[in-house]
Amino acid sequence: MAINILIVDDSGVMRAMILKTLRMAGVPLGDIHQAGNGKEGLDILADQWIDLAIVDINMPVMSGEEMIDRMKEDPEMKEVPVIVISTEGSKVRIERFAQMGVSFIHKPFTAEIVRDTINRSLGLGDDDES
Amino acid sequence: MKAELEEIMFQVTIDTLEKLAFMFAYMGEDEKAWAKDSMVTGTVSFTGPFTGTLVMTISVEVLQELTANMLGLDDAEDVTENLRSDALKETMNVICGNVLPAVTGDEYIFDIGVPEVFPADQEITKGSGIPVGLDLSAKVILEFDEGQCVLSLFSDGKIPKDAVSPEVG
Repeated sequence: MAINILIVDDSGVMRAMILKTLRMAGVPLGDIHQAGNGKEGLDILADQWIDLAIVDINMPVMSGEEMIDRMKEDPEMKEVPVIVISTEGSKVRIERFAQMGVSFIHKPFTAEIVRDTINRSLGLGDDDES
Repeated sequence: MKAELEEIMFQVTIDTLEKLAFMFAYMGEDEKAWAKDSMVTGTVSFTGPFTGTLVMTISVEVLQELTANMLGLDDAEDVTENLRSDALKETMNVICGNVLPAVTGDEYIFDIGVPEVFPADQEITKGSGIPVGLDLSAKVILEFDEGQCVLSLFSDGKIPKDAVSPEVG
């Protein structure tokens, strides 16, 4: 089953790294869409079928947090699984992501962590975690 | 405190470089006198329980390889100056984001600013790249086969006294 993924990060290098890591992780990739901020991400979500959104938090124009809030308010977008990839290190903020119903991956990440988090988010296969 | 900060900065940086770019470095002792146009400098500032700026000065050759590895490029010659700047900014973002909770613990909230990369001929000093009022708190030198990377942490000195041990990884 090919997964259509939206990658939202203001760094082109980080978007390329995430895509490279998805390939290394063996994720079955469908259409890949990229956005440089939350507003661009919402525009793509309104036009394209997206199975998974991978979102950074600190971005210009619209932050990842605001983008996720807007997604949760939209009947067409609220069920799209979201994974936040961020350097955020405070327990309070990370817990807020869980309360928003999104998964969290801390930068820097490995292909295994990305794969396992995607599998859990989409309810796919078994990961290597015991 | 300075030795603890430097150990944390070193461990976080080598962990970051390994995971982001499969690059390995060792602790250096002396800052070499490189030609100005052979080094690139970036800064990233933060606020929180203490305020500061992280300055990263890195050999162009090391940054070239770092960028190529981050992007998964076979040929480092495909790396443009824009890509190098983007890679340096993202690397500083990740290092800063990991150093701060390693220093203070995960109970504190920090806001990290937008990283900046400076022209080779601009000297980074207080008032020019480093906010006035900050002093050098820690400095780490990393050696690579291709060159050097120097990380300097400037802060207002108000680091919480309950700094954690440098356990990273």
